[in-house]
Amino acid sequence: MTLKQKSEKYDCADIERLVQKYIDSGLNDHEKQLFEEHLEYCLPCDKKVSFELKLKSIIRHKMSHEVPPENLKNKISNLLEHLE
Amino acid sequence: MAENKQREFSELIEPHISSLYSTALRMTRNQNDAEDLVQDTLYKAYKALAQYQRNTNFRAWIFRILVNTFITAYRKAVKQPQKVSYDDLEEFFLYKRLDETVSIQETSKEEFLESMFDDDVKEALEALPYQFRLVVLLCDVEGFSYNEIANIIDAPLGTVMSRLYRGRKLLQRQLWDYAKKRGYINDDFKAKV
Ligand SMILES: [Zn+2]
Repeated sequence: MTLKQKSEKYDCADIERLVQKYIDSGLNDHEKQLFEEHLEYCLPCDKKVSFELKLKSIIRHKMSHEVPPENLKNKISNLLEHLE
Repeated sequence: MAENKQREFSELIEPHISSLYSTALRMTRNQNDAEDLVQDTLYKAYKALAQYQRNTNFRAWIFRILVNTFITAYRKAVKQPQKVSYDDLEEFFLYKRLDETVSIQETSKEEFLESMFDDDVKEALEALPYQFRLVVLLCDVEGFSYNEIANIIDAPLGTVMSRLYRGRKLLQRQLWDYAKKRGYINDDFKAKV
């Protein structure tokens, strides 16, 4: 990490190493800045990273919450009534 | 007294029922078990309510109980998927597969993602070993942070990250397999829209 900070530039391998943390907003400001600088001039990485972001949002969207069945709602109100 | 506690509890849990149920369903892969798991979780949470510190993260607290209950009582009953291979799990797995096979435009890669059915995504996720499925659900679907997940599954941060990253790659491989099987990727290797 300290080596990277000295060179102040990320290469494609850094993008691959950090992409998942990036899509989870887990990079610190410095890392994020270097990451995004690389994307500005490297189109292949930029495309890959947008694909990962899109996939993450699609998974969230397609797995959106199930409506709990009536049966469960009944079970829960029944449970609540009998709690002490 | 008891009535107040009940009312407070019921207000606390109300906003989380559907996400607890959805997670339970993805973990047990069975509606009956999911209902029972949620019920057991709520019962335990009520019993342990004194330990919950007011104005802290209730959602993470109750998910921790759900996960704990799942692992102690349900995990054994849930059939694990057949042996999963961890070979060839490279970063950008799905993108690279689409890229290799295809001369399609960039937009088509994203259209391909849109064209997947909800059920395919669910099945792909349910095919992952439960440790991986759990962290992917908690992060990508429920939106918990790495720290919250570490707390929920009671594991170090490094474990959370390695399971999450590996889980996502497994999921991408699974989605790719579905795409081929379901014919989303046809002979011309064009995504059907
Ligand atoms: Zn690059």
